[in-house]
Parts: sequence; structure tokens; C-alpha cells
Amino acid sequence: MSRTVFGTSKDAARPAHLDRDRGLVEAARSAPACFDALYRKYLAQVYSYAFYELRDHHAAEDATERVFMQALIGLPHFEERADSFVGAGSSGEVPADASTFRVWLFRIARNVVANERRRDRRRPVTPLEDAQGLAAADDVVEAAAAREAGSTAWQAVARLPEDRRRAVVLRFVDEMSTAEIAEVLGRSEGAVRVLLHRALRSVAADLRGRLS
Amino acid sequence: MLGGGPRDARRTERYLDGLMEAEERGVAEVPMDLDIDPAVVLAARQLRAELIRAHPSFRFEEGLAARLARTAGRMKVGLSAAEPAEQVLGRTAPAPIAPFRAPGVAASAGLASAGLAAAHERLGTPAAGMRTLPAFATRTPRPLIVGGVGVASAAISIGAVYVAWRWSRAPHTPMVRAVRAARAGRGHASGHGRRAGVLYGILGAMS
Repeated sequence: MSRTVFGTSKDAARPAHLDRDRGLVEAARSAPACFDALYRKYLAQVYSYAFYELRDHHAAEDATERVFMQALIGLPHFEERADSFVGAGSSGEVPADASTFRVWLFRIARNVVANERRRDRRRPVTPLEDAQGLAAADDVVEAAAAREAGSTAWQAVARLPEDRRRAVVLRFVDEMSTAEIAEVLGRSEGAVRVLLHRALRSVAADLRGRLS
Repeated sequence: MLGGGPRDARRTERYLDGLMEAEERGVAEVPMDLDIDPAVVLAARQLRAELIRAHPSFRFEEGLAARLARTAGRMKVGLSAAEPAEQVLGRTAPAPIAPFRAPGVAASAGLASAGLAAAHERLGTPAAGMRTLPAFATRTPRPLIVGGVGVASAAISIGAVYVAWRWSRAPHTPMVRAVRAARAGRGHASGHGRRAGVLYGILGAMS
């Protein structure tokens, strides 16, 4: 989906991959009703991010609604930055699936979730349970085992510091590249790389301790 | 490799990239550096398998789509994008009811202002934009109730007129006249019966 153009980045000789959502974004700008396509495309990702952050189904739905409302209203002010990913990726190349709209959307999501957490700080947090019920629905034992394993993994993630946990969710649930996570979190790529690495080591130690 | 430095972090990142790519291609083999920490590999595999992407309910998805469509419609005609609070909070307000009215009916009943009329013209049919109808076609709960009461009242009135007509147009056979005369005779005990008897007498004389 990404389009390669020349001469639009800081380095004129270097190809810059434009936003893979460019067509959808332009359509939504000219006709706001076309925002539906972007909404359908990113609904599960935004909802998952909110769900893992807030650990509550209803709070995640409220946050998701706010994110997409803000995105729709703010879309005329969104500026695609084709060169924002130059130098990204582990090999220094521009990731082919770089999506500045997605990064922009998740920045909104990050702010909305942060506001939601701030506002609902006094509300008790329920444990994350629904996301792990993925085994075959007709096998109760297998479902329970998968649920237990899932909750074990999630509990290990939930014990991580906030920034590491957020990076893990964006990496594993929303399948973002290091460059995209860096843009969303407002950190350098090197910092995100270290965050993820340390998060994995912490999770590994946690799981090892539980097994032993 | 047991450190947490940039070099180890790069190794981990390369492994994660390979893990994602292998999953996309449906390949079991994931390329990895020889000196990467096996515990990190195991943790990454477990998280990849168990941290799944959740999806909201279908009802929420469609409800939010409808609210976004309304907001988009207002943006298009230059109105304020803000909605009333009870409509923005999808969980507290019920999802919009799917309209059962024809577009022509919606246009005649729902367009109260020139701005909304312009919105209707520009948006056209729902299929042209989002999969839901614009706001003015869906926000009609009260007219539906009032209209339903009116239709029920009219149906009752028509039924009463029909029964009266059938009564007056009953077949004038000797048996019918005999039955009416017998009823008139039984009804003389009360005032109401007397009035009915007079009525039956008149009807009988007319027939």
C-alpha cells in the first residue's frame, strides 16, 4: 500500500514511503463520511490498546469513541509527514508499512487513555480477563487452561513499568514497528528498543519464577 | 547475552521483526542471532501467542459508526461537530434505532431546517457514504409514537363504522326479523332494552 516517491524527504536521493493510508485520508478529508473506512480499519487496534491499558471493557469503549471522534474532527489539521520515518527500522531503512496516520491516531489514543486514567483514578480497576478467552469455545478445559496461561502472561506484563508495558502492547498487540512506537510514545527509537528488550527480560524472569 | 544495552536491544528487535514476518508468511522458522538470550526468545513467543487483539462488540462498532456519520454530516455542512452528551456517550445512550422509513418520508418529516435540508441533498443516499443513514433520518422516535397512536385510533374508528354498517345492512330474511323481535321482547325489562326494542322496531318497519 505504501507509495515510494523521490525528493519529498530531507534527503532528496532517498526514497520516502508515503503514508499507506494516504488515499483513505484524502478521501476522508474531502468527504468526512469516508472516514468510515479508516474507522473500520483501525477500530480493533485502538480498542485493544485502550483495553490493555485501561483493563476495562466499558472504559475502553469510551476511550475508543473519544479517539475516533477527535480524529474525525481533527483530520483537517492532520499533516502527513513522509520523512518522519527516515532512518527508522533496525537496519536504518524506512519501514514499508509506515503509517503516519496510524501514528497520529495512536498519539490521540495515548492522550485519551492518559486522560481516562487520570479521571478514573479512584475507580477500582477490574482484572483483564476477557482478552484471553481464545481457545475453542466448546472445550471448557482447554479454554480454562488457555485463559490461565494468558492471564499469567498478562500478569507478567501488567507488573511492568508503564512505559515498558505500553511499548509491549504496541509491539505485540498492535504490531507496530520500533519507529512507530517511538513516534507514538514521543521517545527515541533507541530508547524504545531498550524498553522492549528490558520488558522482555522482566517478563521472562517473571514467567520463570512462576514456573519454578 | 544477559545485558540490557543497545546492542542486545538491537538483537532483540531483529528477532521480533523476524517473528512478526514469519507469522505473516506462515513460516515456523524465525531467524535469530546465536547469542540472543533464550529466555527473551521464549518470553517473546509467549507474549506473541497470548497477547491477542481484542475487538469491541458489534453493537458498539455500529453505534459508533452511526455517531461518526452524524458528526461527519455536520462537518460537511459546516455545523458544529459536537453532539449532545447523551448521544456521544454510546454506553449510556442506546444505539440509534435503524430507520424503517422510506427516504421520502424521512425527508418530509425530519427536515426541520434549511441546514439539514442541504445536508440531505449533499449526502444523498446512505450507500454513497457510510453504511448508516444521516442523523435526521434516524432521530424520529416521537413522531413514530404519535403516528402509531393516530393509526390505531383511525383503525378503531373504521372498525366501529364497519360494524354499524354491517348491522344496518343485515340480510332481511324472516329469520332475522324473528330474532330481532325476540331480542326486542327480552329487552323490555330495562330502559336500555326498551330503547333497543324501539330501535329494532324501527329497523324492522324499515325492512
